[in-house]
Amino acid sequence: MSFNNQNIVVNKRRMYINYCSDKKPLENLEDQENLENQENQENQKNRPLKNKINIDGKEIEFLPGDTIMQAAERGGIAHKIPRYCYHPGLPIAGSCRMCNVEIEKASKLMTACSTPASNGMVVHTNTSKVQKACTGVMEFLLTNHPLDCPVCDQAGECELQEYNYEYGPGTSRFSETKRVFTNATTKRLSDKITLNMNRCINCERCIRFEETITKSYELVMLNRSWEKELTLSNYESDENDKDDEDKMPTKGLTSSYQGCLADICPVGALTFNDFRFQKRVWFLNRQPSICDACSKGCNIEVHFENDIIYRYTPIFNEKVNRHWMCDRGRISYHDVEDSGRITMPFMNTIDSHLHSVEWMTVLSYLKSTLAIAKKVLIILGTDSTCEEAKLFINRIPSLSKGEVKVCFYNGTGDVSSSKDDEKIDYLLQMKDQTANTKGLELLGIPPLETSYVPDSTDNTDSTDSDVVIYFRSGRAGVGGRGGLELKLKSSASLFLWGVFYKKELDKAALKQIVAIIPGLMTVEKSGTFINCDSLSQSFTSAITHKGAALPADVIFQIMILENRSAIRS
Amino acid sequence: MGEEVKRVKRIKAEGKVVMDYSILTKFIYEKDSHTIDFYREKSSGYKALSKVLTMNPETIIDEVKKSNLRGRGGAGFPTGIKWSLRSKDNRPKYLVCNGDEGEPGTFKDRLLLSRLPHNLIEGMIIAAYALSTHIGYVYLRGEFAKEYRVLEAAIKEAYAARFLGKDILGSSFSFDLYLYRGAGAYICGEETGLLNSLEGKSGRPRIKPPYPAQFGVFGMPTCVNNVETFAVVPWIIREGAEAFANIGTEKSGGSRLFSVSGHITHPGVYELPLTVTLRELIDKCGGVRDGKKLKAVIPGGASSAILTHQEIDVAMDFDSLVKAGTMAGSGAVIVLDETVCIVEAASIILKFFEHESCGQCSQCREGSHWLARIFHRIERGEGTTSDLNLIPEICSNMAGQTICAFADAVTGPALSAIKKFKKEFEEHVFLKGCPFKINNGPNPNGEKELSNVF
Ligand SMILES: Cc1cc2nc3c(=O)[nH]c(=O)nc-3n(C[C@H](O)[C@H](O)[C@H](O)COP(=O)(O)O)c2cc1C
Ligand code: SF4
Ligand code: SF4
Ligand code: SF4
Ligand code: FES
Repeated sequence: MSFNNQNIVVNKRRMYINYCSDKKPLENLEDQENLENQENQENQKNRPLKNKINIDGKEIEFLPGDTIMQAAERGGIAHKIPRYCYHPGLPIAGSCRMCNVEIEKASKLMTACSTPASNGMVVHTNTSKVQKACTGVMEFLLTNHPLDCPVCDQAGECELQEYNYEYGPGTSRFSETKRVFTNATTKRLSDKITLNMNRCINCERCIRFEETITKSYELVMLNRSWEKELTLSNYESDENDKDDEDKMPTKGLTSSYQGCLADICPVGALTFNDFRFQKRVWFLNRQPSICDACSKGCNIEVHFENDIIYRYTPIFNEKVNRHWMCDRGRISYHDVEDSGRITMPFMNTIDSHLHSVEWMTVLSYLKSTLAIAKKVLIILGTDSTCEEAKLFINRIPSLSKGEVKVCFYNGTGDVSSSKDDEKIDYLLQMKDQTANTKGLELLGIPPLETSYVPDSTDNTDSTDSDVVIYFRSGRAGVGGRGGLELKLKSSASLFLWGVFYKKELDKAALKQIVAIIPGLMTVEKSGTFINCDSLSQSFTSAITHKGAALPADVIFQIMILENRSAIRS
Repeated sequence: MGEEVKRVKRIKAEGKVVMDYSILTKFIYEKDSHTIDFYREKSSGYKALSKVLTMNPETIIDEVKKSNLRGRGGAGFPTGIKWSLRSKDNRPKYLVCNGDEGEPGTFKDRLLLSRLPHNLIEGMIIAAYALSTHIGYVYLRGEFAKEYRVLEAAIKEAYAARFLGKDILGSSFSFDLYLYRGAGAYICGEETGLLNSLEGKSGRPRIKPPYPAQFGVFGMPTCVNNVETFAVVPWIIREGAEAFANIGTEKSGGSRLFSVSGHITHPGVYELPLTVTLRELIDKCGGVRDGKKLKAVIPGGASSAILTHQEIDVAMDFDSLVKAGTMAGSGAVIVLDETVCIVEAASIILKFFEHESCGQCSQCREGSHWLARIFHRIERGEGTTSDLNLIPEICSNMAGQTICAFADAVTGPALSAIKKFKKEFEEHVFLKGCPFKINNGPNPNGEKELSNVF
């Protein structure tokens, strides 16, 4: 069989899985045009742009002060310009020299990232001169690169591979021994980040990130020229061992945004330990979602295969997280797969032990309990979506003739309502570690009166509800011991509904729990969160839940319509 | 015999030829030439300053323009034009003297700094007045320990005599001058790298534009000039721009300090008018050492292209040298006689560059390393014919596409060596070794001497 290279057509747009949100082209052209139109309209409304630049025949309006690259971004064609050191969230370095463009009337090629756009400029991004220059840079970058793609985590989303495919020389003329740093292939910069210096292409995005975004200044380039080596700067001097620099212990990276370093590193030099060697990226499916680990609501992409999540990565949202997300949020996906998570319906039988039961058993029990209850208290964790909250408000009254009270409970740290919420660092993280406190407040739900909360100094038995339903998706009350130690009337029945973990069910509280109704976590369901800045963000489910848990609306459907078909066996 | 005695002896030997044109070097080797008293008494020191303080800054800049003075640091940019491009807003402005003198083969700034520090100081005060600047820095190369002490003492003297500080000589003009020592990097000689280093950052060149005239040290308008450039300014003011312009060619005025080294009978610093040809210059320095034949000359420091012995009838001004395919650079003339293996010489130069690249630009960082490796390999006898074609291609990928001119500086010697001495490279490849070493056995002087030169 003859094999002609020329005939292989690879659709680059589809192949594109760079997730570091710096130049993501939209999936199809229609979307892109829609977005452009939207953007243009928005721009025209907000700020009149007058200057025009022509990039590859496309007239683009830009703001004074924009570089060519930024103008290309406005026009939605930034992905046409290759780049390594440029990242839209970081200051411009202009050092990799990859982003060559040809400007009409300019004698030599210019770097798009650092050359200011000017009115009437005509720019070409793909002339033969540009191609040649980029091929040159590619060849230089690859001279000392180990090219260990088969064991490199970045393979598949590596910009070196990416641009080499497009511009690379194909073969290397470098016949010297490659530069190898000592002990550099697996250098732990912290428990979260591993550096392989041999793969580094010296773009210094990581250093600029530390300098300008986290302001932690923990990475520096040691030496100059081809011997440059990325190094931790925060050496803690050891009194006994002052002379021996190699032995000086370092604190390692300390910022809470280390995962972003792995995102922005265009190659496999900086990798995130949590994801290291877990999965080849081309197997991953991707679904945008919202991080539910704090009230900021960072926009993320859930990367998963066969409904197993492998990582979260941030996606760009100017109004929320820009390009970043915190490490706590990034690894919060582990809770979904937590072995202690309760994903079967449980009921408390006569012997005060929880026993796994059939869905119908627990639901008819809940239904009958509600039907005879005089006072029902619904406690919604502030990690519930707005839709779920509405369900409870609307549906419970049709199941119970008693008095129904709905309130919300946060219980993370000492946050009880959005009033207590505040930034806890320089960038994104909020004190409130649930995603929807604002949302529930905006629905008019009051907070749980403080006396219900276990830590409260008030010891009186102040709830007289005979049915208490505590609903949450695994975040609310995790910081405190919320919900599980409510001081209830001794005859009251406590239903736990949603995401709970075995370790939380300590014995004392068990007596009061009559049943656990397993629910879904944020990534398993669709809904809307309203973040700390009152921005409403909707998401659709990323993965399908693997256990027996059911979405709240289905449970209500079953209870109200007696419709069993939704129950998976 | 102590080092100092040896040096003075050498200076005396050279002294005879030095005096041709003596804008700077007239008193340079005299005892105490570095003191303020000597400078004021013998070489009408600080006269130009008192004249200037009554002048309009514009007139001074025009005068410098008329003198056709071109920067002596390397690029040869007309100084008057540089000064006239100064920013006219009222941000604080800075004046910086580039005393980093790192170009291999150059040692003229060093002589000026240790023998004539007051020329520099006076020149800087005049420039500061012309540019309405009140703060100046002298960025000294880290290795210049003695020069640092001399200059420090000279600045103290100038403060004491009220040439520096507040209300200089009773005028309302104030100027403070500070010394700053680098930490030993060639790239800190590049003006924006120098500014970064001056700010306490690592010495990495900045992207231009913005140029230092708009965005220099601490983000403020800054004018950077070489030591020699500043040092001749007092003379221009004193003797008039025309006198200076007359010495040189049409476009480059004055005389220039040449640091002559290598296989020459009397190495040293020579002050000669820019009309001098390379051949005359070599003759004035006593010709090639030991009566050997000339092989090649590096006319403007290690980063300039090599000239063969047939190409030395070229005038040493900026434009003629550019026309000859090389550059005037820092005025460092390195003479190579017939015993020199060009491959080895180029390989040593490239080794220097390989180590000194700041490492920002991909081409420069990887390219200079690659080139150095190839040259070294050829010299060792492990080169192949394809290497000879590869070198120009690597160079063409490097040149003109980087943040600063360093990458071009690397390609200068590499390209010219392989173009002009291709035969020698081929010999290395075919003989699988260096013909100079194979024929004569290991050259007893060869490697050691050359490494001393660079
Ligand atoms: C790689 C490189 C190294 C340089 N080194 C020096 C130096 O050591 N001393 C110097 O005066 N100029 C040096 N220059 C030139 C300066 O960038 C700058 O042009 C000069 O200081 C301007 O002064 P002038 O106008 O008086 O020549 C260097 C330039 C480059 C590109
Ligand atoms: S960084 Fe990219 S090119 Fe380098 S080994 Fe990894 S995948 Fe391959
Ligand atoms: S580690 Fe990555 S981000 Fe940092 S300089 Fe190297 S390639 Fe760039
Ligand atoms: S050309 Fe070389 S020395 Fe100059 S900025 Fe780039 S890497 Fe640094
Ligand atoms: S992206 Fe422009 S120089 Fe690196």
